[in-house]
Amino acid sequence: MGAAERTSLPSRRRRRPTLAPYGLILPVAAAIGLLLGYPIYKLVRISFERYGLFELIRHRGHWIGLDNYRSVLGDHVFWDTVVRTIVFTVANVGLTIVLGTLIALLLVRISAWVRVTLLTGLVLVWAMPVVVAVQVFYWMTNFENGVLNYLLARMHVVGEGHDWYATPLSSLGMVTLLIVWGALPFVVVSVYAGLAQVPHELVEAAQIDGAGPLRIFRDVTFPVLKPILLILTSLSIIWDFGVFAQPYLLIGSSHLDATNYLMGVYVFIKGYADHDFGRGAAISLLMLLMVAAMSVVYVRQMIKASSVR
Amino acid sequence: MKARIIGAALLVAVLAVAASTATGATKRSAASVTVWLQVDAQSGWPGVVAAANAAFQKQHPGVTVNVQYQNWGTHLGKFDATLAGGNSPDVIEMGNTEMTKYMAAGAFQDLSSLKSQFDNSGTWLAGLAASGRYNGKLYGVPYYAGSRVVTYRTDQYRQAGIKGAPTSLAQFTTDAAKLAKKFGKSGYSPVYIAGTDWYVAMGFVYDFGGKIATQISGKWKGMLSSPKSIAGLTAYKNFFLAASKASKTTDENRPTPYSVYADGNAGSIVGPGWFTCCVGDAYKTSTAQFVMPSHTSGQAMPGFLGGSDLAVPVGANKQLGADWIAAFTSTSSEKALQAAGNIPNATNLLNTAKVGERAALRSWFVPAAKNWVNVENGNILRTMLSQILTGKLSVKQAAATADSNIEYTLNAS
Repeated sequence: MGAAERTSLPSRRRRRPTLAPYGLILPVAAAIGLLLGYPIYKLVRISFERYGLFELIRHRGHWIGLDNYRSVLGDHVFWDTVVRTIVFTVANVGLTIVLGTLIALLLVRISAWVRVTLLTGLVLVWAMPVVVAVQVFYWMTNFENGVLNYLLARMHVVGEGHDWYATPLSSLGMVTLLIVWGALPFVVVSVYAGLAQVPHELVEAAQIDGAGPLRIFRDVTFPVLKPILLILTSLSIIWDFGVFAQPYLLIGSSHLDATNYLMGVYVFIKGYADHDFGRGAAISLLMLLMVAAMSVVYVRQMIKASSVR
Repeated sequence: MKARIIGAALLVAVLAVAASTATGATKRSAASVTVWLQVDAQSGWPGVVAAANAAFQKQHPGVTVNVQYQNWGTHLGKFDATLAGGNSPDVIEMGNTEMTKYMAAGAFQDLSSLKSQFDNSGTWLAGLAASGRYNGKLYGVPYYAGSRVVTYRTDQYRQAGIKGAPTSLAQFTTDAAKLAKKFGKSGYSPVYIAGTDWYVAMGFVYDFGGKIATQISGKWKGMLSSPKSIAGLTAYKNFFLAASKASKTTDENRPTPYSVYADGNAGSIVGPGWFTCCVGDAYKTSTAQFVMPSHTSGQAMPGFLGGSDLAVPVGANKQLGADWIAAFTSTSSEKALQAAGNIPNATNLLNTAKVGERAALRSWFVPAAKNWVNVENGNILRTMLSQILTGKLSVKQAAATADSNIEYTLNAS
């Protein structure tokens, strides 16, 4: 942030430093401090305490220093979950961004009424509440009478009575399908808007110079889309890394176990269901650090990208 | 337990506020008691509640009773929030598997000295009474119970040439084969059991003399890989493969056994007695129940004894709370509960002419460990069952894995 200020200051007229800007920012800072700062302070404190049902009843935690962190970091379930969540996030974000960009490129090329139909469909997907979407997906893939099972069995793709939720890989695959499906509209619409910024004359010039479609995408379209894709990627990472509702509801609470936990589900089970608020707080802070570490790369590139332009 | 998980979600928001704003317990007026009952009482036996209130008020003139009805899905989350805020109810209904963790955390008051005040306290159902005791002290008064039975299609059994209810597991298996032969279209289960329905599966384990876990000098030890438990699990696997076409990995909530039955895809289902509620209009008149037979001919297989206890949370008025509980669990109340289709809380009130109450005579219950609910939350038993049924692991391997997970969870501080 410092670099950005320094580069933009000299262009403005030099002013005497005043306190007014600080006064203006004060209410916002105070509101954020109260609404976000205090809960985070509490969270950090609880993560250093033994805080379970026993302590909840007595309204007082028991200070145990780093014990929560030690037990979390020494638990192989935690590390398995971290690795699984990272793989899951990479797969989901990758699929969302690649498919989203492809559909956006398609939108530019098709006739107006098809585009309107497609966009309407996408907006409807975007408007669908997660819980409803999960129910619909579950019905379609239901073991007893799912319509997807029926059709695929008819086409002899899967056997009679295929169970999509039998293995962790398969059930997380269903979650991926649901998440990517739900995340596509936002990516498509954003990238489609970004494509409007691609200068037409540049594309034409490249075509005249004999560049093929792939070359045009790489050297003309992509550089324009890059900042948008960076933002979309970093947002998707943050969303998918901490995703909770889709895996919790689709896999179902009676199938969630150490073989299919994602971070969001894991922290919920450990913290709330097991009544271990101290460990739960420690896990969520570790999770926060991981997301922050992952975002840093993108935030830095975003700043770089915006200062270049 | 799923109920607990969903309920705990509420706590997310409430906890931060409640924990920081509560400066102490809110002042209670002695002139009222607050009672949390499950909605079952509101819809099933409101008359019993009204009668108990009247009896209580005769004893304590001027004290008002404020009965608030709760849902199983959210009541623990709400209760946690009131524990944090210091405004818990004076009496709370708890599911019997929910009790231990709260007793261990000191959420309830010791009612041992008042035990004689409760009717039939000498003959309480053993399984239910055990769920309300911790370290030899009484915290939960048995309210009522529900046993598990087999609900079946009398017309199909007759058409398949089955005469009378099976008296042994072997005979039940033979009957299942007859049903499959007669009605065996794809998707039809002679006896529908969801693969990971551990309430059914553990009945087999206890039937063969096994158990889930036991406490040896203060430490919990998983017992699923003991020879007797292995025999039970193997019997479950064989029976499931012979009788149920359900998914080997699904649970009894998605879909519910009674909805499979109502769709005409099951000749029988195993579960709580109230399953008859929802068997579908077409089969209402051709539905009856029998007790799940043991592998020992002529005996019943031990069934999971579900039920409710009533407890007085910390900070509440102990005497008033206990007096209300005494009025609500009096002999006349329990008889009224029985008339409404429940199992009363004491053996001397049982009527063994009824299938459900006969089933209650032989029952099992989850280990009384404070972390037991975490075993349920971690789905340790369900995972083991799906490993066994899908053949991913042998019975021995799956049971040994489950044992070590159970020990890790139950012995955690």
